[in-house]
Amino acid sequence: MKELRMILYKELIHIVRDKITLFLVLAIPIMLVLLFGFTISTEIRNAKVAVLDQSKDSQSVALIDKISSSGYFQVVAYPETESEIDRDFKEMDIKLAIIIPSEFEHSLEKEKIATLQIINDVSDLNVASVLNNYLQAITHDFITEYNHKGSESGTVEMVTNMRYNPEMNSVYMFVPGIITLIMIIVTALMSSITLAREKETGTMNMLLITPVKKVYVIIGKVIPYMCLSLISTAMIILISVFVFKMPVNGSIWLLLLLCIIFMFTAASFGMMISAISKTQIDAMMVTMMGLFLPTVLLSGFLFPLDNMPMFFQVLADVFPAKWFIIAIKDVMIKGSGFFDIWKYLGILILMAIVLITISLTNVDKRK
Amino acid sequence: MPEIDIQHINKRFGKIEALHDINIMVEQGEVFGLVGPDGAGKSTLFNILTTLLLPDSGQVDIMGMDVVKDYLQIRQSIGYLPGVFSLYPDLSVQENLAFFATMYKSSVLDNMSLIKPIWKQLLPFKDRPAGKLSGGMKQKLALCCALIHKPKILFLDEPTTGVDPVSRKEFWDILKDIQHKNVTVVVSTPYMDEATRCDRIALIQNGNIIKIDTPNNIISNFRGHLYTVKMDDIFGLMQLMNQFELTCNYYPYGEHFHIAFYDEVEKALPAFERFLQDHGRQYGEIKPITPNIEDCFIELMQMS
Amino acid sequence: MQSIVAKDLTKQFGTFTAVNHINFEVEKGEIFGFLGANGAGKTTAIKMMSGLLLPTSGDALIGGYSIRTESKQIKKHIGYMSQRFSLYNDLTVFENMQLFGTVYGIPPKELKQRINNSLEELMLLDKKNSLVASIPLGWKQKLAFATAILHRPEIVFLDEPTSGVDPIVRREFWKLIYQAAAQGITIFVTTHYMDEAEYCHRISIMSDGCLKLIGTPDELKQQMGVNSIEEVFVKFVNR
Repeated sequence: MKELRMILYKELIHIVRDKITLFLVLAIPIMLVLLFGFTISTEIRNAKVAVLDQSKDSQSVALIDKISSSGYFQVVAYPETESEIDRDFKEMDIKLAIIIPSEFEHSLEKEKIATLQIINDVSDLNVASVLNNYLQAITHDFITEYNHKGSESGTVEMVTNMRYNPEMNSVYMFVPGIITLIMIIVTALMSSITLAREKETGTMNMLLITPVKKVYVIIGKVIPYMCLSLISTAMIILISVFVFKMPVNGSIWLLLLLCIIFMFTAASFGMMISAISKTQIDAMMVTMMGLFLPTVLLSGFLFPLDNMPMFFQVLADVFPAKWFIIAIKDVMIKGSGFFDIWKYLGILILMAIVLITISLTNVDKRK
Repeated sequence: MPEIDIQHINKRFGKIEALHDINIMVEQGEVFGLVGPDGAGKSTLFNILTTLLLPDSGQVDIMGMDVVKDYLQIRQSIGYLPGVFSLYPDLSVQENLAFFATMYKSSVLDNMSLIKPIWKQLLPFKDRPAGKLSGGMKQKLALCCALIHKPKILFLDEPTTGVDPVSRKEFWDILKDIQHKNVTVVVSTPYMDEATRCDRIALIQNGNIIKIDTPNNIISNFRGHLYTVKMDDIFGLMQLMNQFELTCNYYPYGEHFHIAFYDEVEKALPAFERFLQDHGRQYGEIKPITPNIEDCFIELMQMS
Repeated sequence: MQSIVAKDLTKQFGTFTAVNHINFEVEKGEIFGFLGANGAGKTTAIKMMSGLLLPTSGDALIGGYSIRTESKQIKKHIGYMSQRFSLYNDLTVFENMQLFGTVYGIPPKELKQRINNSLEELMLLDKKNSLVASIPLGWKQKLAFATAILHRPEIVFLDEPTSGVDPIVRREFWKLIYQAAAQGITIFVTTHYMDEAEYCHRISIMSDGCLKLIGTPDELKQQMGVNSIEEVFVKFVNR
């Protein structure tokens, strides 16, 4: 045991003295979360709009009120004619114009349908489509309220059934994704690279020639990086909870257990990679191509798995990331308990056992 | 019983036969040298002796223990200094030593006696990262780490390659010291001139042992008669040498020309002088010289 | 005629003087051994002489060109070979020689001719299309040397050219060096093999950035009253 403690201590020294790597390992997760959180957010606030109200009845005024109080739109102009709208686009830099036709209230009441005409500034397609979605959502809310108050139901055209919460959606997607990537980088990549470095510089031979158990060498190598990745994960979760208001609906202990189990799976991947690679470059390439890319592409993190050909869907099952992402989303968002996700935990543990067995038999082999 | 008993070792890597039927016995307390060029099989043999590699066939006993079966016990009793610097460059001198001591389930203080003279020289640098030591100091630290568990046998793989002659001489003095503390030393080197520092040497070439003997015996068994002669335009002479009809080995040696005759000297020497005169060469005195290990190695290589 | 003239050549790194006012001359066609302990300043001196590093003060003329102002010219007129970097293992013998020859601007037709001649002299013509990785170390070193002088440089710098090769190959290698020297190429060689130092026409020993001894092997041995260059070296450095 004294040997294991010594190996852990030595590994800690490696980590602490390699200032650049340590900084990167700790800073990258924070940067990733902030980057995804702030820049990739699809939220737009206070977009300037113009409203041409040809109806000027109580319902049209109520709709305009709803739009301007949503926080997403700021009504900056009330043009009288359609030609004035053109002027506003050019001079006031509005993103969108809404034309409410005459007899808006009347149409709603009598014909159960009213039409809104939207004129978009499509020079930025993304902004335009986001604003349209907002508008649809607001109109949807408006009509729901209207229907509650009134006796009969009416509709406003352009209403679609979109759930209103686009920016929340992206938070839900990227936090589990980033946790997955960081755990794989720190646990699998770092431990396999440093193990390969020992092979490259010959210190591995020095270690092997001592009577120390090889299991200690491997465990001693992996544990420090698992701790490091746990720290990173905690930071990611803290930032997403406190900065981006992401809920943790399930048990925090279950979340921790899930992360630790996934870390073991990632670490066992790292061990297998180091068993088959002789140099640091090998280890890096194998981790990137064999683990990192499949994780990015096939975990459902960036690209939905449902739309992929059958072959890739099956392939995705082989990598641990997909199962981890499903489980962590269930715990954080749906608030699932242990018995809802035990299947995924089982899969991750099984993968770890298989990989550890393969790599241990490989590492102990003299040729 | 010999300290190391190597019998009929063979090892192949794919098509390459790295070691072919190696038989060596190393006695307790001797400095045994493995002398040969790069790629001769020295490192492969070292890896087998240090239990890092398994032989394809044959038997190796180290202190009566089998390298294949009893490798864990063997590891406790041997020290190994690899050919390339193999310590942790980011750990300090002290930390490296403590680390390897722990790996051998021992402590630095317990085993100071064997390494004390070397450790004294390292003491001023004890907090310096190992990677920032000079070449000579690195080598001394590596030696300390290899000796920290008081091994019975010390294996050194080309410890002096790329080291300047002064540091090299110092290193060999340290090895002699270790030998006197009852440690068997097995050392490999590509430098022929270092062979004379060993009690016995094995000359190894292309995976074959071509000779095992004491350096003095090897030199006295040199079959040719080696002479030196000082002259100008040695290269010009070398181009003429294929016209010289007697069997000989020759090579340029700075301002001198070295030639080994394989016929009787009474016949060869006058023939050579006549040859030089016939070609109108100016030359100094033709003096007999003692061959060095390199001359012997070349002769043995040509015979085998 | 002098191939190398070093005049008060000095290089300082901060407060550390790596090379301290060294002066020496090397004749055309001479084999000049450049010895010294590790860290004595040899590498810095060679870097300056091959135009890779600018001296702090002093100058050296390499083939008549100043290392201060004409380093581009110098690069055309020198060859370089070291144990560490010689040839690309994944190219064939011919491709390697072609690559280095082209870098030095030898016209393709002429280059082909020179490669063939050079391989014929080495008796390696049948290995022309073999991968360098597949040929023995000793042959590689000989090829590396042939490649380094393919562009007919005035001076060739050899940095520990024979470390680790077997003695027969080493002697063959030295025969190539003598041959090149006989053709008028100046050979500037560093080595840790003291017996190899004896092969040189003249040797110099550097210590602490200064050039302390210079002369023929026989002169130095007489001067120090010993029998080998190794003893000269040890005696000198310990003094």
